[in-house]
Amino acid sequence: MISCADFMSEIGNYLEGDVADEVRAQLEHHLSHCRSCTVLLDSTRKTLTIVTDTGSFELPETTFRPIAERIMSRIRGGEK
Amino acid sequence: MGYLGEIELEPSFQPFAALREQFGMVPHVFRAQTLLPGMIEVEVKLLSAILFYEGALSRLQKEFLMLMLASAQRNEVWVAIHFQMLRLLAVPESRLDQIMAGFQEANLSSANAALITFALKLGINGESVLKEDVTGPVAQGLTEESMLEAILITALANFLATLSIGLGVSPDFAPRQFPRVEVIRIQAPGQLTGPFLLASGHSPDDFAPFGWLREQFGFVPDVFRSQMLRPDVVESEVEFMRTVLTGPVKQCIFRGERPPLPSVEDGALLDFVAKLAEQPAAFGREDIESMRSQRFSDEQILEAVATAALSRFLRTVECGVGVAPDFPLRRNFRSFEPKKVHLSGSDNRHTATTLLVDPDAEWVARVQGGDLNAFEELMNRHSQRVYRTLIGLLGNAEDARDAMQDTFLKAFQHLDGFEGRAKFSTWMVSIASNTAIQRLRERKPVESLDDDFESEEGFRPRQVQAWTDDPEQLYSQTEMRSLIESSVMKLPAKYRVVLMLRDIDQLPVEDAAAALSLSLPAFKARLLRGRLMLREALAPHFAARSGSGAKGVSTHD
Repeated sequence: MISCADFMSEIGNYLEGDVADEVRAQLEHHLSHCRSCTVLLDSTRKTLTIVTDTGSFELPETTFRPIAERIMSRIRGGEK
Repeated sequence: MGYLGEIELEPSFQPFAALREQFGMVPHVFRAQTLLPGMIEVEVKLLSAILFYEGALSRLQKEFLMLMLASAQRNEVWVAIHFQMLRLLAVPESRLDQIMAGFQEANLSSANAALITFALKLGINGESVLKEDVTGPVAQGLTEESMLEAILITALANFLATLSIGLGVSPDFAPRQFPRVEVIRIQAPGQLTGPFLLASGHSPDDFAPFGWLREQFGFVPDVFRSQMLRPDVVESEVEFMRTVLTGPVKQCIFRGERPPLPSVEDGALLDFVAKLAEQPAAFGREDIESMRSQRFSDEQILEAVATAALSRFLRTVECGVGVAPDFPLRRNFRSFEPKKVHLSGSDNRHTATTLLVDPDAEWVARVQGGDLNAFEELMNRHSQRVYRTLIGLLGNAEDARDAMQDTFLKAFQHLDGFEGRAKFSTWMVSIASNTAIQRLRERKPVESLDDDFESEEGFRPRQVQAWTDDPEQLYSQTEMRSLIESSVMKLPAKYRVVLMLRDIDQLPVEDAAAALSLSLPAFKARLLRGRLMLREALAPHFAARSGSGAKGVSTHD
């Protein structure tokens, strides 16, 4: 039998598909009767999907272009 | 007929009409894909551009090459089809048997014999192809166009063979005894010094398929640039990719990276594709059944088969034109087995494979050779990643923009010392991270980036309400982005940067850990902690609610 704390400590590996078969079976058994761990797993998965899909923290081309130009002119100015 | 389900299509289904016109029937391989008619359609376009099109090589020559390849691979399905085709093209059966039994003694023209020799080497043992295998026949009078078409036909043969194996179809015509074409296997791999062929002067900038590739991969892989003698083929390849490569998992397969969120199912999918593409002889019905038992639908399995076929196709072209692989499947194979990586320094993991696949190597070499403009390309390629590293550590956009100039100037100054032991992208991120850490030290109070063990254990989730089924439907993309950005910014820097590199920029775990000089376990621990903290912050916004009117920001807190 594993506890919620045990589940917590393995959740990262479980999400990465990086647990041995027997551990996975134990974790899944725990999930079958623990609602809060099921919620935790499901919402962590959804968090990752949202974070990966959203394309946040994009540097707009209009911001980057002047920076790139400054760098290139310093380089061409014989900084090497 | 095959492993997967099939449905009846309208008799007027155009791609089938095209196949009937060309082959006199619709081969089983295509009937076995009726679950996804759109895929058949793009496959037929690829066939039209490569096989049906009469270009530098005639249809007869192409059919011969494909027959020889199918025979060398013992692929009964395709031997039967090409044998039948050549019979329809009025080649006597006895002549076919004679050529299959030994084409060198069959009085073929020297050009045709050279093409067959080349195609067999490329198709069976592609990694051993050398520059002179391609330039030799050209020197003897074959055109570059002919060589490119031979490469494409060979790639197509491997593509179709993969489909027939993955779909488990039976031959369309009664199996017949056929002599096996023997190919001498050479162990020593050829060293790529390509591209072996000169691409035409087609301007890449106004070429729409390149735009899509750039969008998907951040650059135009060399394998496409090197086929620009035949832009129509590149167009149909890209159209096929657009149809097949839809989910993020499949794109990761092609980028040779682990998916951002590899579940058990993604691992199974990767292993399935890699096995079919790289060990077809070991593939069988049980692989299909094992996917079904993991609740993959037949449509998804069909897409996975097509992905493997596409991977074989591109790999063959890469070997033929002599460009380093941008889509190495092998790196993913078995990557899902539990593994213990010892990561003390940063050198031991950077094997020759990593070197071979660094898509920046060519540009780095150009800068090192004095071409300053090439540095601009390197900056364009890595600006997002550098920015995310900086903002991840520094915690605000203004400082991050400010630190970009320092980062790139430092990279430029030290580029001569870059030996390619790490990937360029990893190296670049580590410079960005060092630049940011230096700035953090100058700040007061200094935010700690070290692990403090007391707090590592004590994390307990507090938000345990179930989430809505489809959180992404709840907010517009802009709202979602600003929600994520503000939540991520509230995390402590050491978790923020790890999350930024792995989940937002989708750098492979190993590369991100190396760039930050963290051990793999330490990196993973921080990543998990950061993900759980972010989950905590987002939870009030995505809680499932009963009743309608779920839109809007939660009043929780």
